[in-house]
Amino acid sequence: MATQHSRAAARTMISPAVILLLGWMLIPLGLTIYFSFLRYNLLMPGANPFVGFENYAYFFTDPAFWPAVINTLLLVGGVLLITIVGGVLLALLLDQPIWGRGIVRILVIAPFFVMPTVSALVWKNMFFHPVNGLFGQLAKGLGFEPFDFLAQAPLASIILIVSWQWLPFATLILLTALQSLDSEQLEAAEMDGAGALSRFRHIALPHLARAITVVILIQTIFLLSVFAEILVTTNGGPGNASTNLTYLIYAQSLLQFDVGLGSAGGVFAILLANIVAFFLMRMIGKNLDL
Amino acid sequence: MGRIVLKDVAKSFGDVHVIPPLNLEIEDGEFVVFVGPSGCGKSTLLRLIAGLEDVSGGVIEIDGEDATGMPPAKRRLAMVFQSYALYPHMTVRKNIAFPLKMAGMDKAEQARRIENAAKVLNLTDYLDRRPGQLSGGQRQRVAIGRAIVREPAAFLFDEPLSNLDAALRVGMRLEISELHERLETTMIYVTHDQVEAMTMADKIVVLQAGRIEQVGSPLELYHTPRNRFVAGFIGSPKMNILEGAEAEKRGGHAIGIRPEHIAPSATTGTWKGVVGVSEHLGSDTFFHVHMDGRREPLTVRAGGEVSLHHGDAIFLTPDEEKIHRFDHEGLRIA
Repeated sequence: MATQHSRAAARTMISPAVILLLGWMLIPLGLTIYFSFLRYNLLMPGANPFVGFENYAYFFTDPAFWPAVINTLLLVGGVLLITIVGGVLLALLLDQPIWGRGIVRILVIAPFFVMPTVSALVWKNMFFHPVNGLFGQLAKGLGFEPFDFLAQAPLASIILIVSWQWLPFATLILLTALQSLDSEQLEAAEMDGAGALSRFRHIALPHLARAITVVILIQTIFLLSVFAEILVTTNGGPGNASTNLTYLIYAQSLLQFDVGLGSAGGVFAILLANIVAFFLMRMIGKNLDL
Repeated sequence: MGRIVLKDVAKSFGDVHVIPPLNLEIEDGEFVVFVGPSGCGKSTLLRLIAGLEDVSGGVIEIDGEDATGMPPAKRRLAMVFQSYALYPHMTVRKNIAFPLKMAGMDKAEQARRIENAAKVLNLTDYLDRRPGQLSGGQRQRVAIGRAIVREPAAFLFDEPLSNLDAALRVGMRLEISELHERLETTMIYVTHDQVEAMTMADKIVVLQAGRIEQVGSPLELYHTPRNRFVAGFIGSPKMNILEGAEAEKRGGHAIGIRPEHIAPSATTGTWKGVVGVSEHLGSDTFFHVHMDGRREPLTVRAGGEVSLHHGDAIFLTPDEEKIHRFDHEGLRIA
């Protein structure tokens, strides 16, 4: 059916969707870039003169800039590490024939259905709170000083919350990948004299490589823009200790009402995301070339 | 050395008794084929010998040593799986090297053995490819290569040819037989295809519902099947079984006669029938003959040149010497 005519018809049919999607992407991007070159502060209404790269200069020299970049990378890296190691281990566990496996699986997957604000609040008040929190009570019960997680280890606490949310996702993807592993391969390896650890290292892990790259890619996209968990728990503090780029941009455009500066930060975030995406794509390209 | 003895070996999954206690001796260097219809427990029996399943009772001895509780790796057996079970992310070389690497063998010895195996199996040009880049027959050979480098006491084959096309299957059948001649190692081969069993085996073990129906050389099974099941399973096309008057006349509850032991004629004979479907193979012609009072047609082999057609009357004369007689239980009457 791939005649000239049918191709032309197909092109005409999909063009509204393509144009809509393209506009959806290009118009906000264009506006952000446009605003980033203006002096545009909501507290100073009036003219919005073109100021060149002034906003960028302010953004990069902001004392919160480097901490925010480092926090963003720590947050992404930390959560990826925890979810992938934990996900592989949980997937191995859930792949075993245990009694009540169906219920256990639902329990494991449940956190993924809780929205970020809610889970952050639950963690903040039920677990981390030094007076009412479970950990605080536990520490007190054992005779220790309660540890104020969000004040003393804010970034680590947020990494913990976000990991808790994303662990089910990683587990789910890795579990399905594990189940697609041919059991005859494992048996062959067993006959070949490979112990349980060698079988995992030489057979299961290479088989999971593709699924792991998919998990890394998808999670990175979402983890670069973690926001609700920070807003609900630490508000980026104490100081800048838990401010990531997303939160910094929010603070500048909506707390300081400086739209121009926030837009400059947004453009930088787009660049950072693309750099990360570039490396991820190369990694995946290598891994998918089996 | 690879003498394997099964004593009262049984297997059940929960309440389902897949294999009731059975006894079997496999001599060193023998090519033994387990054959039977699907679900008869032949693969399970092989997996019990391999150690991939635990026995529910009985003892497995390998070279006089009790191997019942041994892990698979310790039994010095190598297995070739139906799906080949090659490791897709490793090259052919690494696949073949894997058991040696796991055994902690030094690199020089590994390389020497891999070279040898590759030469024997015509894999030298493919050593650096991945399994995904190989054809079915080549993958099969890699799987065999992975088994022979270990120099095991016995080889276990689990329907290794069922994923290959017909032409390749005949070729691989010969290659495996040749390999057995050269290595003189015990081989246990599981198949549902009685042609493979007949052509390759020194000894055939016919299984049905986990029970051993008969053990013997291919020709023994062909000439003196112990019961109706073996009689019907060995030989192609199947043996014809007749019950009733004709059987009683010859002193049995049922009689069996192979298609190749009935002489067809257009004019005279003991039995009379009508030609149904005829299959012309060039060298042979198989007639499916419909007889009065029989639902199933009788299969008859004739030479390639007989000109009888659908609907023609046909006369059949069985070779009385070659008739097998069975009693009420289906057992052979000597």
